Amino acid sequence: MKPKIAFNWKKMIEHKLFFPFVALAIILLFDLIFIPGFFRLQTKEGHLYGNLVDILRNGSTVMLLALGMTLVIATGGVDLSVGAVMAIAASVAAILMNPVIIGMKLPPDLMKFINDPNFTYAPLWQVITVTLIVATFCGMWNGLLVAYVKIQPMVATLILMIAGRGIAQLITNGVRIQIFYEPYAFLGSGWLILPFSLYIVALVFLLASLLTRKTAIGLFIESVGVNARSSFFSGIDEKKIKLLAYTFCGFCAGVAGLVASSNIRTSDANNIGLNYELDAILAVVIGGTLMAGGRFSLLASLIGALVMQATTTSMYAFGVPANAVLAIKGVVVILVILLYSEQVRSFIRRFTAPKEARS
Amino acid sequence: MMQKMSAFIAKNQRFLPMSVTAILSIAAYLVGALLYPGMRDAQVFFNLFRTSPFLLISVIGMTFVILTGGIDLSVSGVVALTTVAAAALLREGWNAWLVMLLMLLMGMAFGATMGAFITYLKVQPFIATLAGMWVARGLCFFISDDAIAINNPVYCLLGQTMLLIPGFSDPKTQQGAFISPLVIIAFVVLAVATYVAHYTRFGRTIYAIGGNEGRNEQSARLMGLPVDRTKVLVYTLNGFCSALAGIILSIYVSSGHGLYARGFEMTVIAAVVMGGTMLTGGQGYVFGALFGVLITGVTQTLIQFNGQLSSWWTNIVVGLLTLFFIGAQSFLATRKGRQVEAGSPEVQRRRRMLVWGGSAVGVIVVGALILGALLNPKENGAVGTTPTAESAVCQFQPTSDEDADALIAEGAVLTYERNGGPDCIDELFAIYPDGRIIGVDGARNVEKQATVADVETLLAGIRDQGWFTDEFYNTWHTPCGQCFEYHITVIYEGEEKRVTAVDGGTDAPAAYWQVVSRINGVIPKFPETP
Repeated sequence: MKPKIAFNWKKMIEHKLFFPFVALAIILLFDLIFIPGFFRLQTKEGHLYGNLVDILRNGSTVMLLALGMTLVIATGGVDLSVGAVMAIAASVAAILMNPVIIGMKLPPDLMKFINDPNFTYAPLWQVITVTLIVATFCGMWNGLLVAYVKIQPMVATLILMIAGRGIAQLITNGVRIQIFYEPYAFLGSGWLILPFSLYIVALVFLLASLLTRKTAIGLFIESVGVNARSSFFSGIDEKKIKLLAYTFCGFCAGVAGLVASSNIRTSDANNIGLNYELDAILAVVIGGTLMAGGRFSLLASLIGALVMQATTTSMYAFGVPANAVLAIKGVVVILVILLYSEQVRSFIRRFTAPKEARS
Repeated sequence: MMQKMSAFIAKNQRFLPMSVTAILSIAAYLVGALLYPGMRDAQVFFNLFRTSPFLLISVIGMTFVILTGGIDLSVSGVVALTTVAAAALLREGWNAWLVMLLMLLMGMAFGATMGAFITYLKVQPFIATLAGMWVARGLCFFISDDAIAINNPVYCLLGQTMLLIPGFSDPKTQQGAFISPLVIIAFVVLAVATYVAHYTRFGRTIYAIGGNEGRNEQSARLMGLPVDRTKVLVYTLNGFCSALAGIILSIYVSSGHGLYARGFEMTVIAAVVMGGTMLTGGQGYVFGALFGVLITGVTQTLIQFNGQLSSWWTNIVVGLLTLFFIGAQSFLATRKGRQVEAGSPEVQRRRRMLVWGGSAVGVIVVGALILGALLNPKENGAVGTTPTAESAVCQFQPTSDEDADALIAEGAVLTYERNGGPDCIDELFAIYPDGRIIGVDGARNVEKQATVADVETLLAGIRDQGWFTDEFYNTWHTPCGQCFEYHITVIYEGEEKRVTAVDGGTDAPAAYWQVVSRINGVIPKFPETP
């Protein structure tokens, strides 16, 4: 009987989702003890509200980014430009809905027109399609630089990260465009029992899962991440795989840009997605994917993103000022990373292994 | 001739990236001087150094880290933390020199901690320093939410002393081109760093660790070099540089705030790359940092003098330049590789295409700048005659708070000042209880008569937004080229409060903008200038 339990223990610890779940559980346990009423859920007009829903809702942007980032990191790369691509996507979307604002002095009677919640220049489906195409091209640019020109991923994506915000401002001519169009605002701030952005996350997650787990692509990505050269020799076109990963990451960043801009109802090229690339990378790392590439788990990355968001939301609920939350987030990141380090892992293994070793 | 040249280049190939940057920045400056007479002023040239000593110091520190094959993202956080902590301690009346010493120690401790995490616990440099950045920036806001002004005499002395440049100035009248003592500090750091990197054991160990594109750590260890100690020391050194940069920044702007230096680490990394250091590690020169900073400065100056291009063009140009330099480095790497093993023709062709593409991009950038300048001769004429770079861009006018106070003394119940924006305006409006509204923008006056009820509704509305509660607080961040700075004073039912903010950021309370739009609905407009 006993050995069997020990075996299950070991299997559980070795499972990909174990550590992310532990991290999330610790944070939620903290909330349970120190913040009374944190888990209270209530329904208003048929919609679910509460801190837990807030975590999911505010975390949806980082979750979207983490999905794309997982694939990129699994190939052994990294994409620093996702935040800038979000800004570009937001600018493109805003300009498509409100093109009159670029560089023109508006006649005063037009202001009324623009504030109209049903006014849009391009129909919604066009706004979304064009924005996603632009974002996908941004991802493809990164992929080309990394896979075909063979620039280090960090440097190659740094270029778009620096230039991207400038490009976003170039698109809107440096103006922060307010978004009044209600159907668009629904993407990020609408509710269908749960926040609408969650359904978007689920959709993209489904897409990514099908892509990686129902085809061989997932396996190829892991193979390229472990050893690009030997993958090449075993007949995998590593360049195309890398290109695909970065392109998908750009696509995810585009979706995230749509959600973020519709949530705050403005195309703020300076601030949309600022530092989100770092959040996304950490979400993936907390999810257990190694920065060196290899095995990945999309679900674990999503939980990683939730760990980040749960920390932030708990600290807000705890009364820590908004800007100071960063410090606590930093400490949590260090703790989680230490949890993953070989020293701690071998310690846990030693803690659970002896019985088995004896038997 | 060609052979001689290529032999010369081959011999001094390692200096090539650095010299390309140097030549490019000088060329760009000369083109600027040709186009804009204002840029021929010596002070504009010295301003390149005067406005960026903190950048230079950070780039030097970062060069060391990158040479070992690591990276340090914590720079911006440590810089901000240093400014806030120094400002807070000085406000408490501490000795300025003691504060500086403490800040340097703090920076070194920060760097050493991160270095230990990276070296002994094998945390990725990217992750460890990122967490460090967040901790540092978060700590700023435990110290203070608002910006803290520094009025310490030592700080003022260091910040405001003008060191006249011999040959470009007149010592009798104290007029002419000058730099600040901060520039001297930066150059001393550069000299020491160059010595350390190339003439000490520590420096050679750094190159040994980062060699072979960062894969050389194991070989360095087998050679018996103190790899662990050196790595920790390098991060400590960068912590020192960040703290020094923070001190200099706080002297330069004479205040401290947690939102200073946002995104600074990326500017620094881009400057390191442009200075000819390979991001993979092991190759590059500390002295290149100077040129990396110079080319960033020249780009900014050109864009400022152009006057037509907004400040965010700097980002695009810097991005393109980074691309260009990475292309050039990649080309050089192949050339070097070819000496060992001849690359396949296909590889060579690709590299060649890359280099040509990169150069084409560089040419296009310069061309675009020139074209932008030529397309708008009128603007240039106006801008080009201005004596310094600073007056070429929209400077935030010293706020006319005194004028606003005077208007309130006259009986105004609301004053509303906004300045900046794309057209560089400076407007001050006052609303009186009898419904009279006046506005001045320095040259012109407008007046409008509203009803007493309108004024009452406006003021009550603002009160109901929570104007006199803690919901409204002062914020300030470095304004973007297009942003406005607002100062609004409201007097209602015996309470008076002034709140300032800059748009284009997320720091100001959201309700502030609702108040602004309420006021904008009431006040008269200045007639459009043709």
